[in-house]
Amino acid sequence: MAREEPDVEALNEEISSDLVFNDEVKDGGGVQITCFSEVVNDVALHFQILRLPKQIYVWIGCDSAKLGRIYAAAPTRPKDMISVTSILGGASDNTGAGIARRLVLKTGLNIILACNIPKNSPMLEAEAEKMLVQKLIQLGYARAKAEGSSS
Amino acid sequence: MDSSVPRFPVTYKSLSLDIKGNKTDVVLCSYDDHFLVIATQIGAMGTILHARKEEGVSIEPTFNVSAVFGKRDEPMLLACARQLIQHISISGSSRSLVISLGLKDHSAETLKGVVSAVIENRLW
Repeated sequence: MAREEPDVEALNEEISSDLVFNDEVKDGGGVQITCFSEVVNDVALHFQILRLPKQIYVWIGCDSAKLGRIYAAAPTRPKDMISVTSILGGASDNTGAGIARRLVLKTGLNIILACNIPKNSPMLEAEAEKMLVQKLIQLGYARAKAEGSSS
Repeated sequence: MDSSVPRFPVTYKSLSLDIKGNKTDVVLCSYDDHFLVIATQIGAMGTILHARKEEGVSIEPTFNVSAVFGKRDEPMLLACARQLIQHISISGSSRSLVISLGLKDHSAETLKGVVSAVIENRLW
């Protein structure tokens, strides 16, 4: 299984360096867990958001509670380009990779995303992403307005 | 029949403890096919490892542990994941484990602290 080694190394560097958030962190450290479920066209979508001081872990479940594929995404040098890599679940199915990438764009944070939405469900993916982003903004983890490539 | 929102299907537990003077946040989640364990002292997930049991022909199960993200050559982290997947297996579950360790040091004492905290609060 081919891994995008250069991207992963850049990601590692980013994640281990001190990233400063523009948003205020509600706790003085520690983990905040938010879970919620919605129904979209008879499909149950489950969301689990784990907020760490320097990172966010998100799980999106589609009807089942399987972990699904895991992606890591972060802004990487140069030019704050977003890099995404698949950690678990193989690269033949990229459902979720796009979501991970856009979450980084919208939040400016390092993201680990686990997602079991079946492939070839672009509408479901889009709905899930929309609900997720809405919740992230509500929780104060995301900027309401995309500020482009800052930091 | 009311169209109520479905129950959130994932069981999870979150705790905080002190290991060698470092505040350690531990989160455990139980998915259908995996257990997820996060132990962090650095505010981020750190190195992510995947451990699974391989059903073989022989009576003794074998385990496959690998670091899938982050530091790939830290034997203590691999050992920690190995201990936990073995514990999961002995407890009767054949689910795989995804464990992320964001620790300030990789000493035996720290890893032992993580393992015992996870086992004490296990979801399996």
